[in-house]
Amino acid sequence: MRMLDTSGLLNAGFALPAGINDTLTRLWFRGPATTAEGQHTDWVYIGIFWFCTAWFVLLMGLMFYWVIRYRRRPGTIAPASPNHSTKLEIVWTVVPTLCLVPMFIVGFQGYMHKMVAPGDAIELSVSAYKWNWDLEYPNGSQSRESTTIGSRPVPIFYMPADRPIKLRMNSRDVMHAFWVPDFRIKADIMPNRYTSVWFNTSLPADAATLGEAHGLNESSPMWGVPYSDHWVFCAEYCGNEHSEMAAVIRVVPEDKWNQWLGTIGTAGLSPIDLGKFIYQRKCASCHTIDGSKGTGPTWLNKWGYESKYTDGSTAIMDENSARESILVPAKKIVEGYSNQMTSFQGQIKDNELEAIFAYMKSLSDRGGN
Amino acid sequence: MAHDTHHHEGSYLTPKGGPMTVIWDWATTVDHKKIGVMYLFAILFMFFLGGISAIFVRLELWEPTRIVEGVVQGQLFAQEGATSISAGNDIYNRIFTLHGAIMVFMVLVPSVPASLGNFFLPLLIGAKDVAFPRLNLLSWYIYVLGSLFAVTAIILGGVDTGWTFYTPYSTTTDLEYWRVAIMVLGAFILGFSSILTGLNFVVTVHKLRAPGMGWFDMPLFVWNIYAASILQVLATPVIGITLLLLVLERVLRIGIFDPALGGDPVLYQHFFWFYSHPVVYVMILPGMAIISEVITTHARKSMFGYRAMAYSGLGIAGVSFIVWGHHMFTSMSEAASVVFSALTFLVAIPTAVKVFNWTVTLYKGSIAVTTPMLYALIFLFLFAIGGLTGLPLGTLATDVHLHDSYFVVAHFHYVMMGGTLMALMAGLHHWWPKMFGKLYNEPVAKFAAIVVFLGFNLTFFTQFFIGVQGMPRRYASYPDAFTTLHQWSTIGSLMLLVGFLIHLFVFVHSLVAGRKAPQNPWGSLTLEWATDSPPPEHNFHHEPLVTHGPYDYESVVPPGMDPADYPIPGASPSATVVRSPAKPD
Repeated sequence: MRMLDTSGLLNAGFALPAGINDTLTRLWFRGPATTAEGQHTDWVYIGIFWFCTAWFVLLMGLMFYWVIRYRRRPGTIAPASPNHSTKLEIVWTVVPTLCLVPMFIVGFQGYMHKMVAPGDAIELSVSAYKWNWDLEYPNGSQSRESTTIGSRPVPIFYMPADRPIKLRMNSRDVMHAFWVPDFRIKADIMPNRYTSVWFNTSLPADAATLGEAHGLNESSPMWGVPYSDHWVFCAEYCGNEHSEMAAVIRVVPEDKWNQWLGTIGTAGLSPIDLGKFIYQRKCASCHTIDGSKGTGPTWLNKWGYESKYTDGSTAIMDENSARESILVPAKKIVEGYSNQMTSFQGQIKDNELEAIFAYMKSLSDRGGN
Repeated sequence: MAHDTHHHEGSYLTPKGGPMTVIWDWATTVDHKKIGVMYLFAILFMFFLGGISAIFVRLELWEPTRIVEGVVQGQLFAQEGATSISAGNDIYNRIFTLHGAIMVFMVLVPSVPASLGNFFLPLLIGAKDVAFPRLNLLSWYIYVLGSLFAVTAIILGGVDTGWTFYTPYSTTTDLEYWRVAIMVLGAFILGFSSILTGLNFVVTVHKLRAPGMGWFDMPLFVWNIYAASILQVLATPVIGITLLLLVLERVLRIGIFDPALGGDPVLYQHFFWFYSHPVVYVMILPGMAIISEVITTHARKSMFGYRAMAYSGLGIAGVSFIVWGHHMFTSMSEAASVVFSALTFLVAIPTAVKVFNWTVTLYKGSIAVTTPMLYALIFLFLFAIGGLTGLPLGTLATDVHLHDSYFVVAHFHYVMMGGTLMALMAGLHHWWPKMFGKLYNEPVAKFAAIVVFLGFNLTFFTQFFIGVQGMPRRYASYPDAFTTLHQWSTIGSLMLLVGFLIHLFVFVHSLVAGRKAPQNPWGSLTLEWATDSPPPEHNFHHEPLVTHGPYDYESVVPPGMDPADYPIPGASPSATVVRSPAKPD
């Protein structure tokens, strides 16, 4: 694939000391992009910034100067001066037009770099829903780890460094968008078609290593591995917890990533642990397990207790009503809540349902055993 | 003669009887001036509502949300002791939707055309009224009806879709209530008000110009309102149909936009922006209209490049129909994005030409920095930033990063608020003496303008950085990294509030205790200044005959002014208004 050496372009393009553009990039972006395509975007942005600054200073300079120079003096009127100049007007129509052509072209180039993934990219699938995303690794398993941005829990997507990765994305409900500010990439995620983003990022030479602070112990395959984190945000408004719909892309060396992939299958888990895993990935954004009220009812002491529904009916939470709530959530709404939940019909396997039941039972004092 | 002002006939404001008679008289008036004034106050009230909701948005964003020991902190709208952030988010989402919907549909779209346009378009072309005065009254009541629908939706609990009503969210949220449908119907009804007003203005400009006023003798205010009116007539039906389809889908579950029913959500975006992009120019062209009048009057200078200004208004209107796709660079096909990016750059050209013309008009002028002029200069400053920050959004590589971020929020506030609303403030201060016959306190108004200017930049310039650094729009909570910039932004919004409250005080004070305004306080040459302040019911005592261009400051003494103050070699007093033989006194 083509690599863009933008650091040279950035400074050669404007014949300015390297320091100024680096400082500007830090000021605007907090730091350079971590992909080559992203750095091209930075270069385009800083270029446009200089263009805009030049025009703005020129226009405002003239405006302020003339307002002061030609301020009104009592008893005098403005001297006659031309109110039209074909030459001048042609110049200031043609010159900006010519300036915009290269702007369009570099924008187009950068866009194509971002849109067209190299043929050897590793393809992963992302499924978005209100208000979380599932990332499926090549072996069909999903990551079960989470971290925090600020104080909100978000899933971690482990990615190998120095390999092009393409995410093929689809939504289960409304429009979402996948934005990785560090890579300067974004694409809407739609319910009726696939969209994609791709990136290829490296680890910085001084990358920190994973350890105890990340909830790992020494037996973990990720222990001591250098990493770098990148925020992912949902950028298309999708309802209540739109601002909580985020993730962290954690880049690690490819060999470590491959090694780790082998350990994350859910095959060996007990039903309760599998249920807990599914809960954390799919349910935790709305249902708490500490008794507090979320978008949906808490799971603490839910199993075996009676639920009242908005249609006036009641039911004990058992396998049948839990199954219905997960697969056809709109059918009955628990009193005090609104119809927010997405159907998991076709998204969840029978053994996973069993696992969720087991986990819910473990959270209830009427769960048996 | 130039000014036979002291006439037996009262002004349009003179009460015709007791309070009930006055109320009935205003409620059934077909006088474009009264309708304009009613629009003005309705729009200012809506601006107040939209502004208050903006303040709540900013207060919510004062702190990022934190959950400490199971308790939500830093979220204004979460209840005391809340452990769930969803309750607070729910209120925040309704408030920013309220802000956007009110500001776009009830403030910005009708702002200048319906208020100042209604009042001054006929005056500026020397007409007695608009072409269809009763239709004009109907537009006003349609506006009221549409606003009532929207207010009803808010009172019933509000809508959380964002003002863009993107599907399938808008057709699947809140299904047990009718609020979204009511809100959307409100916007649909408001559209008719727009269409009828636009139609009225187009016909008025074509048919009712005073004798002697050719197309290129029209003030640029008229040209730009005319261009905006054409857009209103042509583009608004599209949103009407779209919103109707949306309601049909919600209520009857017919699949048009919702993929679960076999529809396509991106189709909705195309429909929506096919209207909503031209409507950006429905909002800004009338603002540009005002700026042209204010700059020429207060610089006492002929408009530089008059014809280019007239054509660029029409050019902007034309190009605005083929750039809607730039709102969808992250949801369209690559090929379509490339085409729309190229087309988008086209719209920059006529806009730039306008800015150059305004600036060069100042050259060798006789410039008085009055409140309206100060606002016109503020407009140039803010609109330049708004326009230039459109460039990285039209450029594909950068837009992919900036799309739906705070950069976009800052950009369109610089254009819409820094452009249209600052122009409205300029126009309001420019024409206030003519509308109400009262002067206002200039030093205090100028002070307020400076507070608004500083507050505006503090509020929105910070948001460019927040956006570039990675903050998406419509977020109730955010990572700690953005806290400082958000707090500056919130402080700026409070300064804006203070600035506008001072303006409110200045206006109220003027109405209650303002000195009587002379016929032509600024020495302007356009026709509205050739009649009384406030104008008589039929605008002019005699049908005006136009004998000079609207900006011939170098050769004509403005109406109502002392020729001694205008040492123009060989000039005669303005002959703008002459006795028409056909209409004896």
